[in-house]
Amino acid sequence: MAIDAHPELPEFDYFRPATLMDASRFLAQHPAEARPLSGGTDIFVRMRDGFWHDKYLVDVKNIDGVSELRFDPTSGLSLGAGVNMNRVIASPQVQEHYPLLAEACRTVASYQLRTRATVVGNICNASPAGDTIGACLAYGGILNIHGVDGFRQAPLASFFLGPGKTILQPGDIATTVHFPLPPAGSAGTYIKLGRNTWSDLSIVGLTALGYPDPAAVSGYRFRIVLASVAPTPLVAATAQDYLEDTPPSPQAFKQAAILAQEACNPIDDVRGSARYRRAMVRNLTEKALNKVYKLMENRG
Amino acid sequence: MATPTLTKKVPHPVGDSVPRVDAYEKVIGAAQFADDLQFGPGLLYARIKRSHLPHALIKKIDASKALALPGVKAVVTGKDFSGFLGLYLQDRNIFCRDRVRYVGDPVAGVAAISEQIAEQALDLIEVEYEPLPGVFDPEYGASPEAPLLHPDLGKYEVANFIFPEPGTNIANHFRIRKGDIEAAWSQCAAIVERTYRIPHVQHVPIEPHVATAQVDDQGKVTLWGSSQSPFAQRYLIAKALGMSQSDVRVIAPFVGGGFGSKAGVSMEALAVAIATKTRGRPVKLRLTREEEFYTAFVRQGVVTHFKMGCDQDGNLLAMENRFYWDGGAYTEYGVNMTRASGYSSSGPYDVPNVKTDSYCVYTNHPVGGPMRGFGMPEMHVGLEQCIDELAHAIEMDPVQFRKINCVQGGDTLVTGMTMHPTGLSECLAKTAEAIGWGRKDPPSAPNKRRGKGIALMWKAPAMPPNAGSSAKIAMNEDGTVTVSVGGQEIGQGSFTVAAQLAAGALGVPIESVRVIKRLDTDSSPYEWQTVASRLTWSMGNAVVAAAQDARQQILEVVAKAWDENPDDLDIIEGKVISYKTEESISLKNIAIYGIPMPGDQGWVGGPILGRGNFMPTYVTGLDPETGQGPRAVVHYTTGAQAVEVEVDMDTGKVEIIRGAAAFDVGKAINPDMVKAQIEGGFVQGLSTALFEGMQLKEGVLQNPSFVDYRIATSTDVPRDIKAIIVEVGQDDGPWGARGVGEHSMVPTIPAVANAIYDAIGIRVGAPPYSSEKVYLAMLDAGLVE
Amino acid sequence: MSNHLIAVTVNGEYEQVEVPSQMTLLQMLRDKLALTGTKNGCNAGECGSCTVLLDGEPVNSCMVLAVECQGASIVTVEGLAQDGVLDPVQQTILEHGGVQCGFCTPGILISARALLDRNPNPSEDDIHESLVGNLCRCTGYLRIVDAVKDAASRQAEVAA
Repeated sequence: MAIDAHPELPEFDYFRPATLMDASRFLAQHPAEARPLSGGTDIFVRMRDGFWHDKYLVDVKNIDGVSELRFDPTSGLSLGAGVNMNRVIASPQVQEHYPLLAEACRTVASYQLRTRATVVGNICNASPAGDTIGACLAYGGILNIHGVDGFRQAPLASFFLGPGKTILQPGDIATTVHFPLPPAGSAGTYIKLGRNTWSDLSIVGLTALGYPDPAAVSGYRFRIVLASVAPTPLVAATAQDYLEDTPPSPQAFKQAAILAQEACNPIDDVRGSARYRRAMVRNLTEKALNKVYKLMENRG
Repeated sequence: MATPTLTKKVPHPVGDSVPRVDAYEKVIGAAQFADDLQFGPGLLYARIKRSHLPHALIKKIDASKALALPGVKAVVTGKDFSGFLGLYLQDRNIFCRDRVRYVGDPVAGVAAISEQIAEQALDLIEVEYEPLPGVFDPEYGASPEAPLLHPDLGKYEVANFIFPEPGTNIANHFRIRKGDIEAAWSQCAAIVERTYRIPHVQHVPIEPHVATAQVDDQGKVTLWGSSQSPFAQRYLIAKALGMSQSDVRVIAPFVGGGFGSKAGVSMEALAVAIATKTRGRPVKLRLTREEEFYTAFVRQGVVTHFKMGCDQDGNLLAMENRFYWDGGAYTEYGVNMTRASGYSSSGPYDVPNVKTDSYCVYTNHPVGGPMRGFGMPEMHVGLEQCIDELAHAIEMDPVQFRKINCVQGGDTLVTGMTMHPTGLSECLAKTAEAIGWGRKDPPSAPNKRRGKGIALMWKAPAMPPNAGSSAKIAMNEDGTVTVSVGGQEIGQGSFTVAAQLAAGALGVPIESVRVIKRLDTDSSPYEWQTVASRLTWSMGNAVVAAAQDARQQILEVVAKAWDENPDDLDIIEGKVISYKTEESISLKNIAIYGIPMPGDQGWVGGPILGRGNFMPTYVTGLDPETGQGPRAVVHYTTGAQAVEVEVDMDTGKVEIIRGAAAFDVGKAINPDMVKAQIEGGFVQGLSTALFEGMQLKEGVLQNPSFVDYRIATSTDVPRDIKAIIVEVGQDDGPWGARGVGEHSMVPTIPAVANAIYDAIGIRVGAPPYSSEKVYLAMLDAGLVE
Repeated sequence: MSNHLIAVTVNGEYEQVEVPSQMTLLQMLRDKLALTGTKNGCNAGECGSCTVLLDGEPVNSCMVLAVECQGASIVTVEGLAQDGVLDPVQQTILEHGGVQCGFCTPGILISARALLDRNPNPSEDDIHESLVGNLCRCTGYLRIVDAVKDAASRQAEVAA
């Protein structure tokens, strides 16, 4: 946040296009001047801070189908860009099939902010600290993107380029995020270490999802995503690979935690030091893996 | 003027937990705060051009482009205003004139037809600076090598109990020399020596500062602001502008939290100064939350060095303290913290040998001002941890150690003053009992450890010796009473207390009392400031005096009409009764129109208007070399606080499981509101213990928002806080009352630190005890790998 | 830059307001409709003082554009009491001493009302969590939580 933030939002034009194509065209015609608006919780803060100076905000959340939460027992879950986090948390289908997503959403800010904040917005904002991104990556999320050439799909795994940087181009609007059905028997957890008990940004965020897989040497696969310890949300690939080969045990989880620690690349900032973050990646990874394994065992 | 003595029966509703008189309008959204007042279409909006450098000379300011911007009505700079501001030390111009001294220092002000245009104008003001080396550490600042921030220190006007050292950055040096510490050290069985660096914190009122000013065509000023101190603002702003005080009118509606940040003058003078150039149009200035963090007062940082020793039996023998207060760019108000911490530097203990040097040092940091506790929370952080360490060093229970040493009535205090009766021992015993001292409960999980900690505190109102209060009481035709005070309602409940004291002293039910809820220096009676936890005591005395004055007038009128002696009459439940004849008459029949004499022989009486005032007259000066004198302060409120914590060994996170606190309030005028102060202060204290600290880097605040300056939320508080009231009466307080508003957060930080030590065996030093700080301390100590 | 004419229902009253694009719902309520009960504490979605109900759901009104509220129904603190009868959360916060300076109170009351609307029987943990977006510097929160608990049980009694 800037010490010289404006008292109110600077001037801009609000524009509500009738169709996605209208929106994409307008955005493409005004590169660096226009931005798609969904919940606005990040946009308004950055504009008031003076970091962003867009002349136009293009409200895309009420266009055809963008505000739908849809679950299909064969194809999975789709969250429109206008679906706020409280809806995600309250959805019985999300709670049943994608509980990790609900758990992660619940750690974001406050109830009243989550009335506006969206999962798609959290993804597009591409903060290394984004609380729901880990769950979205672990569930294999795929973004539907509408650009001037129509729709295309992009897996989240290759979506993030840096802090606030993504593959989105002028004219692109992320309309929905889609999740395939989660692997059978999966269990997950999001451990968020903030300064306060709730509502803070994370010093470290740890997402872990595990599931039985007879094809793996160890009989299990784990997906581990770290928040706030690298320029982008970080998939701890070496730790994942290790657990694919090593049968689950407290020792194995300890070793995987060390691998996750080695993979991260945190910095010192106002929220915490790199030294502390590194230690927390290890401790929380170990804790999360043990917890996830226990959840799977209890289920099995 | 008689104050109700301790022996007199306490009349209802004094001592009753009546509902707040201001709650209804607050829950329906009708209570007006400074930003809610409506000024119509003529209102202009101000923004401030601020220094982005911590220390620099101003070479040139060119505002011509800003003035040319359509919609801009005025641009002012330091050259327009030569006067000085300052409560204790007049070291501050309204706008910087030749030099900027902190990031945020006001360089120019703009008034425009909208906030946005005013913002645009700021960018058009060109300021040429010559950067100077800065001072970012008070110990360095006090050294001869440090660059000089106030070359004119010797010329500033200063209160007669503040002693600046011209040619240095030391704005005040307060000394205590009691006994002989050098001789005492050799008798000590244990000596502890520690240093604590306490970070700056911010008050974080949820309402940011707002001020609207208007200057009429005769030059008279009206200021509407969120203010704890309308009279002090009138005094200081008039002085800075070279005006008469009565030509400045300050109107202060409800205050959305103050905690000291809205005492004295901070941004209000900017609004007034700008309004002098807008030809009668009102000008509103509101601070953004970001500005609130670094341009309003902050609780100054401090480096405290303690050395203390005791004998084998646990008797404290000596203390040697050195405090370096980080006064910031201007120490006009905060400078008095040097003194307050000096005259209380022994803590609430009986110590025969004390040497204290307390310095207030100019730095290129935000301006240090008063905050809840006025130096005491910061000082007690180290003091109460050292006390704990000494107890452990001689293998004595920390509660027992405190019991042996804590101050009692009749003790000779560190300034030579004799202590008045105090219930500190009782506070200690009750707090220890409430927290289950000595009992070790198992942690809630295998990776957690539990501990308990306790701390004592004391605090005296820090103020000039003669800070005064006054009150008015008017009767209405319907028999109700209108109470008028100059002390502000900032959430602590002062209006409710005023109503209770007036009702009790006059003899009317609480429902019959109205308190005027908007202060106005043109009509409210004088009050120095709403600070120092002094209102219940000082303003309370004035209210009681006013009520007694009104009561006496009423009794004399009725006595004359009934041909009785006033001593045989009383006022009960809004009726005057005669104990002799058992006759009675309602106040509503006499308060305005008087009473006809028997046989139509004229009238007696007239509208009843009571007046009262209070000013302590007995506080004496202290010897500048030794800090000794007969009476340093009016009184001390004492208390104790204990917490139970759980430390997560995986993360270092400290959770407060429960808390208990007891304070000797003399007499609780409204017990429920006293408990609310004890709870609220506890949580503000734990917030500063766990989360808070301004991260200043070369004078630039790194966390100027709620995103990164975290305060306690509803999920960070323990579910169980036991608030205990102890009542050892104050000889000159209304029915024995003394203040408690600030005290409740004084001992929290060391209580938490001592509990963390009890849990993990590590002293974590200075706050905040963030999970990071605790975890890394455990890592460094080898407690975790 | 463009202005928009929008129609909204505020506390049950139909209103038409002309708003510039960048005007927040908070500004519209305070500056256009003089509903100053809703407070501006940070203008960044952090403190919760500006919380109002937007189509029944609590939002930080500083984080919503006025123009986005076309056709919406808004409830502010001024709209909680009905015909002079306080909402249970107003009554209990008053009785439990959950009000001190009163600046956070409007937002807290809206959050509490929203909680009881979606969960008439909240646990103590639910209440603490539901208030995490409403900063209070005076009370220490416990009396507010007690008040919400009490309001829930009073509401249940009325319903029974």
